[in-house]
Amino acid sequence: MDKGTTSERVTGAVLAVGGLIFAWYSAENYDLGTFRRMGPGMFPLGLGLGLAVLGLAIAVWAPEKGVVRPDFNPLIAAKIVGSIVVFGLTVAQFGLIAAVMATVIVSSLAERPFRPLSALLLGTFLCLLAWLIFRVALGLPIHMLRWPF
Amino acid sequence: MDLLPNIAMGLSSALSSTNLFYCFVGVSLGTLLGVIPGIGVLAAMSMLFPLTFYLPPDAALIMLAGIWYGTTYGGSTASILLNVPGTPANAVTCLDGYPMARNGRAGTALLMTTVASFFGASVGILLLMLFTPAIAAYALRFADAEFFALMLLGLVAASTMSSGSVLKGLAMMIVGVMIGVVGADIGTGVHRFTFGQLGLVDGVSIVALAMGIFGVSEVIASVGKIKPGDIKADVRFRAMLPSRDELRRSWFPMMRGSGIGSFFGALPGAGPGIAAFVAYATEKQVSRTPQRFGKGAIEGVMAPEAANNAADQTAFIPTLSLGIPGSVTMALILGVLMIHGIQPGPNLITNQPALFWGLIMSFWVGNVMLLLLNIPFVGLWVRLLMIPYHLLFPAVLVFICIGTYTLSYSNFDIWMVAAFGLAGYLMRLAWLPAAPLLLGFVLGPLMEDHFRRALQLARGDVTVFFTRPVSGVIMSIVVLLLVWSFWSAMRKVVQKRRLNTTKTENE
Repeated sequence: MDKGTTSERVTGAVLAVGGLIFAWYSAENYDLGTFRRMGPGMFPLGLGLGLAVLGLAIAVWAPEKGVVRPDFNPLIAAKIVGSIVVFGLTVAQFGLIAAVMATVIVSSLAERPFRPLSALLLGTFLCLLAWLIFRVALGLPIHMLRWPF
Repeated sequence: MDLLPNIAMGLSSALSSTNLFYCFVGVSLGTLLGVIPGIGVLAAMSMLFPLTFYLPPDAALIMLAGIWYGTTYGGSTASILLNVPGTPANAVTCLDGYPMARNGRAGTALLMTTVASFFGASVGILLLMLFTPAIAAYALRFADAEFFALMLLGLVAASTMSSGSVLKGLAMMIVGVMIGVVGADIGTGVHRFTFGQLGLVDGVSIVALAMGIFGVSEVIASVGKIKPGDIKADVRFRAMLPSRDELRRSWFPMMRGSGIGSFFGALPGAGPGIAAFVAYATEKQVSRTPQRFGKGAIEGVMAPEAANNAADQTAFIPTLSLGIPGSVTMALILGVLMIHGIQPGPNLITNQPALFWGLIMSFWVGNVMLLLLNIPFVGLWVRLLMIPYHLLFPAVLVFICIGTYTLSYSNFDIWMVAAFGLAGYLMRLAWLPAAPLLLGFVLGPLMEDHFRRALQLARGDVTVFFTRPVSGVIMSIVVLLLVWSFWSAMRKVVQKRRLNTTKTENE
């Protein structure tokens, strides 16, 4: 069995197990009610079971050959997602300018070669643009720069 | 039919200075983001979605719709000059557009695709104006059972037709409906799947979901892959003019393309990409010289470009007349309506005539703007293609972050975007389509509500969906589609396995 097929089977299995857990959780925690007066649990229970059936079908009928796997880039993914998390960590305490600069620098690390100067210039330009759009034009109550200590 | 006063009302709304401005913003951003490969229409629309909170509903819709059909205009530029489709709907345009550019006819191809786009869009808008009110009037008779059935049909059709694996499409649709379940239940007020998080009581934010799953995951998948190409295109006006022979061969493909596009655009799940593909295949079929296709035949760019723009417009027919989106972009349009407290459905036209007709008339305005933007200023867009991606994607991420943060000024939505971005990337790796997920997310809560009320009215009789005539017909189509998709998924594999076993036996 080639690697592509294995990943197909794993995908199907993950979906099926996820569906079962979803169905179990809704049956356990929410009232099912009757068809005449449906409780909050009935619809999600049906969804979970439906997903379980589909997941099973995907796993069982996985094509045996010729599944091309897209190349997996955990480092790029981590840097891009990290740049969003960094924004969330900085924006409330340090203000928008700090958050924009941080996001631009962290996300720029994802593409090689890293160009520090162009990242700094881009960050400055985007800060200016963000200030014009969100503060000047839309007048949103958002801090541009602050120092919490 | 009192079409004329409605047109007048729509025009007065579309031509008001605010709406003109936002229409212009929408179509120019649409062209801009369409030209640049690696930023699709969904990323573009979800990036600007938060802005629509601060606009009146008509301006918000006009801007978002402008982005939608603007990207299709812009997308052909990258197809022709780089052989990289600016948006998936322009993929077929590469086949003959790029050879045309290699033959030194880039300017002509750019000009003629814009003409074809405008022609296709005009046909689409005319059909939209004629059919939407009629369908909506008919649908006023529908009850909960019919709406549930229609929404189910829309979802199932979209999941089975648009993507590679039908089973995966259906599974992702269910996952989307599951995400839609999160939050306070409309019927009982019970908090479902919130795990004590206050940020989840109102449900998962459509903005966070769309930006994460389309915007962020697209950036992750494109970083390091997109290289700015070298472009040689003569875009002076004289070089853009088509020869008499090219003009003669353009006319019929453009008309056929518009017809095909209008039909496929209105079908749920089909959309502009499929429309363009079918239009191209048809031209190759009817052509007396099919061997010219793929080597720069002008028919091969005219038909698909007319088709995808016609489809862009007719996609609004089910969305505005029934409240049922056939594609994710239309689901976002419905999202804007719901955020502004406007209930989509057959009552939309009668309750909000100014909004409806204003939006439709803005399509004319927007398409004229696009014609002007794309012919005299095409040189500007061509130069944009040379901006390296390493400057673009951080900017996209910054706008995604700011847009999400301004939803409620809480970090919670940002964590959601990050999580959905990662999930979207993993889905790409497993070939799980994201479009049915968002469609299920938007339609899920509405479907549960209709399902519950239909059963209440029928006193718990589940057969109600099959015994009412209209709903019965629709449900039968749904069942047929489901049976067909399971059967075809199974058959494909079983056939292959049999082939493999006979091979090994012979060895």
